[in-house]
Amino acid sequence: MPEEKQHRTVIAVTDGASIPSRKDAGLFTAWRVSFVGSVALLIYLSVFHSDPYFRILKFLPDGIFITFQVTVEAILLALIIGLFTGLGRISKNKVINGIASVYVEVIRGIPLLVQLFYIYFALGRFINVPAMASAVIAMAVCYGAYMGEIYRAGIESIPKGQMEAARSLGMSHSQAMLHVILPQAFKTILPPIGNEFVALLKDSSLVSILAVSDLLRRGREFASETFTYFETYTMVALVYLIITLFLSKLISRMEERLGVNQ
Amino acid sequence: MSTNDRRVMVHIRNVDKYFGHLRALTDVSLDIYDGEKVVVIGPSGSGKSTLLRSINQLETIDAGTIIVDGFNLTDPATDINKVREEIGMVFQLFNVFPHKTVLENINLAQMLVRKRSREEATAISMELLNKVGIAEKIHQYPTKLSGGQQQRVAIARALAMKPKLMLFDEPTSALDPEMIGEVLDVMKTLAREGMTMIVVTHEMGFAREVADRVIFMDYGAIVEEGTPEHFFTNPTQERTQTFLKQIL
Repeated sequence: MPEEKQHRTVIAVTDGASIPSRKDAGLFTAWRVSFVGSVALLIYLSVFHSDPYFRILKFLPDGIFITFQVTVEAILLALIIGLFTGLGRISKNKVINGIASVYVEVIRGIPLLVQLFYIYFALGRFINVPAMASAVIAMAVCYGAYMGEIYRAGIESIPKGQMEAARSLGMSHSQAMLHVILPQAFKTILPPIGNEFVALLKDSSLVSILAVSDLLRRGREFASETFTYFETYTMVALVYLIITLFLSKLISRMEERLGVNQ
Repeated sequence: MSTNDRRVMVHIRNVDKYFGHLRALTDVSLDIYDGEKVVVIGPSGSGKSTLLRSINQLETIDAGTIIVDGFNLTDPATDINKVREEIGMVFQLFNVFPHKTVLENINLAQMLVRKRSREEATAISMELLNKVGIAEKIHQYPTKLSGGQQQRVAIARALAMKPKLMLFDEPTSALDPEMIGEVLDVMKTLAREGMTMIVVTHEMGFAREVADRVIFMDYGAIVEEGTPEHFFTNPTQERTQTFLKQIL
């Protein structure tokens, strides 16, 4: 069926970790080398050079927890903001479309770090938002704009005939969207959303500037007390690497399970 | 035709439609009566699909009037969803919902739009699936079905709304030759049961057998209309004669 092919459109990934493709077969894939290598290095350092490496490792889990907390909360919020942005971007209503488009343009034009400063320090003059909440809001507002583009591309990848068929049965536009278009678009947008999650997890290291005790911040606290900068940041980098590699793999597995790659 | 005593189902007057600068429909006027089977033929780009799609407002017209079952489509106060409930449409590319099973495809609009319970909807769906001859496929996903089967699901889905009018937009054009017959058979059954049907098709055998009236369109206008007998044996317009010579 001609429409079936269109329907499997893959959205180009512009940001974030690359997701291992199933075509990378064999024992020595880039992913395996990186993952096994970093885990082995982490274990080696912790066991054979336990001072200071193991001490550093014991100091980090609180930070890992905060990093995940920021990432998960921000991504959930971004998914909601993104849905409305994406719907706004395809809306025929000029006002709604205009607002959504301007939002995307503005946010994409400002570096995330500047946005973080802006929400926490600049807006701090008018309203006092706690650091953690500022961090989550800033990340969500930023990623919501990117997510909006993913939703838009996902919705637009569904053949026009699907909406027409739903409308010709008497469904309203929102019923058709909810029951026919979005469930199909979801399959298409799942991989890029997974990518955004990994990208957001990495970008969440920026919130350490706002005195949020994430993984990077915990590392900095440890390093500045013990002056073990090399050792600490080596461990921080390894922990980030292991987490993102693991998540990328998980996402590609999930993707296969859902048959997105058919 | 003795049509004065019959109810007009679709009333089309002086309709114009533009795509940019392209004039897709030019001053089209047409009445279609309750229970009538009208087949629209013509070369591609002649405006026949556009005319059909205007009847349930998948295309909005730029001038003229379309009244369907008493609802004036050009009146902004008309709730188009209400009108579409009464008009079934079958598409060239089937447009079945790939993320739903056959049964869910047919149940969906019944439950959302007609507000039937799942049990009621399923009973109606089962009856229709039997009628179109694919009752054994109810829990399959459409991608596992042949084109002909998918199109029959699409017909059942439209019929489940109990429409007063069925529109067919080249329903067999995307099908392999061996599957055309099974879809046409379903349409013939429907015609015998008295459904009002407007069919855009290139299947001249179907037109000859089923149509009460054949309409020939070219360059966005109705060139000639008449009974199949008149149309295929004795067309008066030169353009009709040329077209028929090309395809028969």
